[in-house]
Parts: sequence; C-alpha cells; structure tokens
Amino acid sequence: MLFNSYDYLLWFLPGTLVVFFLLGRRPFAAQVWLTVASLVFYGWWNPWHLPLILGSIAFNFAIAASLRKMARRSVLALGVAANLAVLGVFKYADFFLDNVARIAGDAPPLLHLALPLGISFFTFTQIAYLVDVYRRKAQEPVLANYALFVTFFPHLLAGPILHHSEMMPQFAERTNKRPQWDHLAAGLYLLAIGLVKKVLIADTFAPIADAGFGAPSTLTAPAAWVAVLAYTMQIYFDFSGYTDMALGAARLFNIKMPINFDSPYRARDIRDFWHRWHITLSRFLREYLYIPLGGNRGGEARTAVNLLATFFLGGLWHGAAWTFVIWGLLHGLAMVVCRAWGAFGRPLPRGLGWAITFLFVMTTWVFFRATSLDGALAMLQAMAGMNAAPAASTLAWLSEVQARLGTLLAIPPAWTLVPPAIGLVVVWRRANSNALAMRFRPTLANGAFVALALPVCVLQLARVTPFLYFNF
Amino acid sequence: MADVVAAHSIQGTPAARRWFAASLGVAVASLVAVGGFNAWVDPFQQYRIPGPYPARYYTSLHRYIAPGLAKNAAYDTLLSGSSIVENTRNSAIGQSCQGTGLNVAMPALTAAEQSLIVSTALAAKPLKRAILILDFNAFSGAPDQRNPLAGPIPRYFYDRNPLNDLPYLLSWSVLVKSWRIVTGDRSERFRTDSDAPWWWADEKRFARDEVVKRLDPRDLNAQFQQPPRELAGMQESFRRNLLPLMAAHPQTEFVLVWPPYSVVVWADFVQRRQLDVSLDFKRWVFATTRALPNVRVVDLQGVAEITHDLDRYTDLYHFDPAVNEWLIAEACRDRYRVRADNVDALEAELRRQAQTFDPGLLGHP
Repeated sequence: MLFNSYDYLLWFLPGTLVVFFLLGRRPFAAQVWLTVASLVFYGWWNPWHLPLILGSIAFNFAIAASLRKMARRSVLALGVAANLAVLGVFKYADFFLDNVARIAGDAPPLLHLALPLGISFFTFTQIAYLVDVYRRKAQEPVLANYALFVTFFPHLLAGPILHHSEMMPQFAERTNKRPQWDHLAAGLYLLAIGLVKKVLIADTFAPIADAGFGAPSTLTAPAAWVAVLAYTMQIYFDFSGYTDMALGAARLFNIKMPINFDSPYRARDIRDFWHRWHITLSRFLREYLYIPLGGNRGGEARTAVNLLATFFLGGLWHGAAWTFVIWGLLHGLAMVVCRAWGAFGRPLPRGLGWAITFLFVMTTWVFFRATSLDGALAMLQAMAGMNAAPAASTLAWLSEVQARLGTLLAIPPAWTLVPPAIGLVVVWRRANSNALAMRFRPTLANGAFVALALPVCVLQLARVTPFLYFNF
Repeated sequence: MADVVAAHSIQGTPAARRWFAASLGVAVASLVAVGGFNAWVDPFQQYRIPGPYPARYYTSLHRYIAPGLAKNAAYDTLLSGSSIVENTRNSAIGQSCQGTGLNVAMPALTAAEQSLIVSTALAAKPLKRAILILDFNAFSGAPDQRNPLAGPIPRYFYDRNPLNDLPYLLSWSVLVKSWRIVTGDRSERFRTDSDAPWWWADEKRFARDEVVKRLDPRDLNAQFQQPPRELAGMQESFRRNLLPLMAAHPQTEFVLVWPPYSVVVWADFVQRRQLDVSLDFKRWVFATTRALPNVRVVDLQGVAEITHDLDRYTDLYHFDPAVNEWLIAEACRDRYRVRADNVDALEAELRRQAQTFDPGLLGHP
C-alpha cells in the first residue's frame, strides 16, 4: 500500500489508529492489532509475499533466542548468512546470472522473481537486531513485540532503518496506547508536510526528469542539466517526503522514529552529505559494516579500502545493477578524497565546498537514475555538451515538458518553472521538516496549512506514482 | 494540581486536541464537500442518467465514461468494439436490431477490456443482445494485455462498489470538470450528442487517396505497426476473456462480428505472413462457439464491394459511417452468418482476395 494512496490515507491509517486507541486499555491487544494491520498493509499488493516476511520474522526470532542463551559466533553467522541469502536470491540472483552469462557466454536461465517490497529494509533491520543481541545490546523475548518491531507499517517498506533499542521501549510504554494529542497534532502536521513534498513537489519534478532521462542523446547541455537537476530535486523530495509521512504516521501512534534526512543538499563536503542523507542507512553501514571491517583503525590505505568496500555494498544495496555499483564507488572514492584533503588541514571555503559537493552529488545521481550504463553515459555526454542536438531543441524540449506539466497541474505552461524555483529555495534556505516538527506548535497558521494541504494533496492522488525507493 | 499536570503530560494539551480536531475536521469537511459536488455533477455519468446537466462525452475518456453508460443508460442491445465502430449511432443499433442500442466502443480496445465492459453491462442488467466486434489486434499478446497508448483504465468504475470510487470523487481533474460543467465553461473538447457520443467521422476524409497517402506498398504495416500474432495466444485470450461471458449468459444473444477491414489489411497480413494465423483463428472461434446456442458469428470480411472500395475508408482499418450502419444491420440479420456449410467457402474466398490483391497497384495520389 502506498502512503500517497486513497486506501492508505482515507481507510487504512484512520481505521488502524481508531481501533488501536479503542484497544488502548488492553496494551497487548493493541500491539497485536497494530502487527496485524501492518501485515495487511504489507500484503496489500501481493499477499504471496506475506509468508516470506512471516518466515523471516520467525527465523530471526529463533536465532535471536538462541543467541540470548549463548552468544555463539557461528549462530550469528548462520543468521546473517540466511538473511543475506534470502536477499540475494530475490534481489541479486538475476543480476549475478546475467553477469555470468555475459562473461561465460552461458548461464542458467534467469529466475525473474518479483522483488518483495521492503525486503532490503526488513532484512537490514533484522541483521542489526541479531548483531545487537549477539553483542548483548538487545533482547526481545516476546514474539509479538518482535513482530511489531519488524512489521510496524510506517517504516516497513522504505525505512527509516530502525534500531531495536530505540523502538521497543516505546512499544512497551503503556501510555503510548492512549491518544496523546500533542503527538497526534505533531504527527498530522508532519504527515501533511510529507504529503506536500511527495505529491505536490516531487511528482512535479518527475515529468521533467523522466523526459530528459528518457532520451538523453537528444538533449543539449542546458536541457541535460535541467533534467538532472529536476531528478536531484525529485529524489530528495520524494524520499524525504516519504520519510516525513512515515515519521508522521508513527507519531500518531505515539512512536518517535529517527530522522532520515537533514537538508542534505546544504552539505559542505561528501562526509557531511552522508551525515544528512538517508541517515539511518549511513548509520547501519557504519556500525555493521565499516567499523567491523576495521573502520579507520588500520592506517590510511586500509581506511580507504574499507570506505570503498562499504560504499560498494551500499551502492549494491540500492539495486542489482552496475549503475548502482558505480554510484556507490564514486561516493566511496569521494569519501577517500575528502578524507585525504582533510589531512592537509586546509578546508575549502564554505561556498566552494558546498558547490563542489552539490555538483558531485547531482552528477552521480545520473548513475542512480539511468536505467543502463549506456543511458548514464549518454546523459553525462549530454551534460558535457557533446551531443549533436541543435541548440534550438533545448527550448523545444522545455516547451514540451512545460506543456505536459501544465496539463498535469492545470496551470499555464509558463508557471511550470515555479515549482523547480520553489524547490531550490526550500532545499537551500528554508527550515527542513525536522526543524519544523521540532518547533511545531498548534497555531492557527499550522492548522490552516494542514487543513489546506491535506485535501489539496488528496485531490491530486488520482495521478498516483510509486515511490522511487520502492525499487530498493 | 499535580494530577492535572500529569494527566496533561500524558494526554497532551487541550490546545493540541482542539488544533487536531479543527485541522482534521476542516480537511475532512473539504473533502466531503468536493466528493459530494463531484457525485452530484457526476461528469462521467457513473451514478445516474440523466444527470443534473447535459452529458459531456470527452475525447479520449471512453474508458472512464463507457462503464457509467453501461451501468446506467437504458438499452437492451450493446455494441462493443474498437475505434472502427465509434461512428455508430445508438439509434442505428436500435433500429437495426429492434431494441434500444448503446455503443461502448473504445479506441485500441483489447480482449481483456472488451470482457470488462461487457461484464459490467451484463452485471447491470439483462441484455437482449451483445454485438462484439472482433479485432485480431485485440487478441494479440497476453490475455490481460492492454495497449499502453490507451492510457490507464479506471477499474473502480467497472463494478458497483462505491467505496472504491474515491479516485473519481476526490480528484482535482474531476473537480475541474464538474466546475466547468456547472459554470457552462466549454474550454475542453467533448461531444454532447448522446446518440453518437464517440463520433469522429466529421473530422476525417473517407477517400482512396486518404488511405493511400500514408501507405508504403512495400511495408503496409508501417502506419499502424501491429505486432505479430500467434494462434495459441489468441485462442487463450478468447478463451479467457470472451468465452466465459457467453457461456454464463445464455439468455443474451452474442453476435460476434468480423468487421470489414479494407482489403489492404489482408494484403498486409500476406506481406507479414499473418494470413494463416488470422484465418485459423477465425475458424477456431467459429468451431469453439458453434455449440453455444446463444452465439452467432457474422463475417463481413470477404464482402468485396465494401472492402475493395477504398473510398469508404480513411485508412486501411477505419471505414465510414455508412459502413458502420451496414455492419450493424448485418449483425442483426443472418445474411453473412457463418455456418458449418459455408465456413470453408468464406475462408477460401477471403484467402483468394488477400492473395490476389496487389498492393503495388495502389499507387500514390
């Protein structure tokens, strides 16, 4: 079920919330209800994937129980390997077979398995839990509690990637099963912000990016830059909007989830960027991959290798394609360069650091968005002005996009340049959702925003587009 | 006092409660108002016919409007086909078939969509007759195939469940249409003639030179780029999409009509080696349905005085309104009915026409 759908916003979320609070005097029943509702949410598109997540929960709970009794490394290895194997079969088997076929000229037929929604997220969440149990940092003896931790619908499909330690105390808190108006108000506010970011902003950039990436070899340099900039805005507003909606929905249930974005496009270097972008993934990769690999404890060369390995796997986590691998490696390389530059002790001027970082992030999104290596290279070629397209096509292309957008938004074509301009201002200058949520007060202005934003966004849902991160 | 403070810290402040109730209340009230307004104006005629305002038939929105017509219009004879029968008046259907007709044609129709709209009609009311125009292209590909050019299909319209109509009731674009209807704004393209809602013949020329000018005699498929077909796939599509409908509604007469494409289409089939598969499929459809007493197959594809007269066409597939009327008249008669004793002869004649037509003679205007 999509967060930006009628089913979710008008039936599922209100219905789940009302029943949850009606069961508030029986905390265990409320918790079971929330788990069942989360499974309904998960199975909405493809109920055949329910056995997979239920099996995964049962298996990991059993492994954790074993680790609680005796923290054996072999049991942990079995648990982690099994999780990675499931992820590998569903997500990477065809990628592997395809590459074998390219190299060897022959390979078994592709599996063509449908990728279960959220598999990357619930797999990582549970691996982290197993490691924490092994380290004696977590334990959960009640299956119902553990099942809710894994399936809690606001984070299930696209994160944030949660730590057991930050969630279970909140689930266990009895008063959290009763309506708390401060949380309800803040949650509704955050939900409205996320909905606006996804429905009114990200989806507005999508046609520009789609048109550009759909035919990169026809673009002139300015058109290519516009398309890549549009995607840069789209992916931020899409994913952070989704996260805001997730955080808002969780807050309605009196649950505070960790933030996942903190104005990443204001970052002044690439390390800063990864402290601001998909923060819970960065945290996972740092704690469960980079540091176990040795982190920065083995000298500069070893640190560089660890960084590259971490970002290589981080790229691969996003998708089974070489474009994601290259994207990850480029970011890994940038981290190495950033670290080496830092060793000189001569930081770049703030503006220059920001500009280099933004341009790098924007350019590497080309690999993230393109559907093939050839497509990515064609877009980079276009950005470099190496396409033979006549200059006039820039205007023609923009006019076409503007006409399509104008029809979509029912506004005059000239106005379609307004959303990208607003997007840039919001990204660079305005307070982000976290800051807005932190300083939220039940004021008339905030009320007017919610009362207007919710119906306006709901009226736009007929043009539902899937969240980009559902692919990962 | 301490208890009051503690209670507030758990339950939240009264200001937050008022804010939450007021904000959500206004938002919900706004949505209810919009939904109510859209339901009342009902631009796609989903809930009642006639509505409070004259009906508007929007260009390219067949798939949104047709299910409403199928559910709410007064008719006993349904015509379902692709764009080739859009120029058929409801009154012509009624006159030819002694009843009340309804044309629910859709451009780029596939068998799955044909099944969907006919099922919707049959679920809404008992039909005397359903005339289904069989298009080879509709059976190409998988049984649930849709033509991507046709745009999305709003499946929530094809049932009687109002709870899933929210994309209609709570839609900005529908709200804009409702507002334009109420205010008399005519800035969108639409027709208002309920007798011929999909009519486009006035915008085209029907003439031989019109047909020929877009044709490449060496590649007759270049204009429409129809995909190749294979018999098993077409049979599976027919078996899954249409056969169950006919078997489940014995009280309704189903007339399966093979429409009179121009002979150029058959020359194209020869050129692309699609002739045998097409003829085999026709023969199989007849053999499969002949045991059903409520099914008749009518074949107009070998009627040379129509199919060889390119002045009746605007391209190799689409014929003029007079041919539409003739088609309907013949659908409700027995003159071109396929029977066991003429199926071989009809097929042989069509094969002969296809193989003897020389596209090189089309020339250019």
